[in-house]
Amino acid sequence: MTPTEPHTDAREPDTTAGGRLPDSRADRFVRELADLKIPDPAAARAGLWLRLGAALMVVGLVLAVSAYFVSHNTQNPLDQRDGLALGLGGIAGTVVGAALFLRYSLTGFLRFWMARQSYDLAVLADRLSERDLNHDLTSTDAAPR
Amino acid sequence: MNALLELRAVRAAHEGITVLHGVDLRVGAGQVVALLGPNGAGKTTTLHVAAGLHPVQSGRLVLGGREMTGADPRALARAGVCLIPEGRGVFPNLSVRDNLLMMTFTGRTREEIEELAFDRFPVLGRRAGQIAGTLSGGEQQMLALARGLATDPAVLLLDELSMGLAPLVVSRLYEQVAEIARQGVAVLVVEQFAAAVLGIADHAAVLVRGRIERQGRPDGGLRDELSALYLGSSA
Repeated sequence: MTPTEPHTDAREPDTTAGGRLPDSRADRFVRELADLKIPDPAAARAGLWLRLGAALMVVGLVLAVSAYFVSHNTQNPLDQRDGLALGLGGIAGTVVGAALFLRYSLTGFLRFWMARQSYDLAVLADRLSERDLNHDLTSTDAAPR
Repeated sequence: MNALLELRAVRAAHEGITVLHGVDLRVGAGQVVALLGPNGAGKTTTLHVAAGLHPVQSGRLVLGGREMTGADPRALARAGVCLIPEGRGVFPNLSVRDNLLMMTFTGRTREEIEELAFDRFPVLGRRAGQIAGTLSGGEQQMLALARGLATDPAVLLLDELSMGLAPLVVSRLYEQVAEIARQGVAVLVVEQFAAAVLGIADHAAVLVRGRIERQGRPDGGLRDELSALYLGSSA
């Protein structure tokens, strides 16, 4: 029994008959991890994008509404044009924010839904082909009328 | 060769309460490491950290020598990290065959997956049309293992494999786990009941209140110390 430091006596994988696979799988694992090109976790987080998308949506809407009042409450055409630009910017922000929000909130759900759909379709196809087969075997209809 | 799975000084929390206080673990290819400890010690959290399902406060998750802290668990699963959760993780309302069919997303064909599963667990072949929820606990666990193996794992994380099973069934399941490890898979097993897993483990660690209190080869000394830790007295 050793104290709490991590062990270093890890059994090296066999290199004999039974051990031919260990190296190959382990090497493949390392290669696949490298191929995944997993981004730096600190650089990008799905949750961060989700919150950014939601924030953009809200801020964009607030900008658009406030731009209406900016342009409505003045006779100065320059201020009115500022309001127009602000409103358009707000709408653009809302669209981008909504896209981000949808991308990071619904994709997981849609992926599962599509998997479920394809599974149900496969089951239905199996059932239909089985029914057709049974029908062909037991049918007494000579020909369609 | 580097360890396939390595936790370095990992700290993790649940709702602001730190449950892992600097856990260090290494699992090499072809090795079975048993993580033991009483209820609430943080064993399942450790597994979830290893699978990328639980964020770390500090410390590092290293897989195949690469830093993977905070990586998407789906990416880790695609690379070959497979977690078989406590409670077996099968679809109880689908048949055995359909449970295996659900694993075709891995790119393997239905035939390949069934061959792999039924070769290793012949009883599943005999019960292929049976609804998974009606299988015995041991058979459900076999199905869960078979589903895990269909992903061609490099790192297999097992949570409380023995839960609710008869000792004989547990011992057979662990024989299969040892066989899987012999094929080069790094296996980390979390167990509350040590007896069965220590028979196949190359290394064991005892986790108590989020800290690795002891680790080493699973010999008689470890068993004595385990008894002491569980019973709260010195061996």
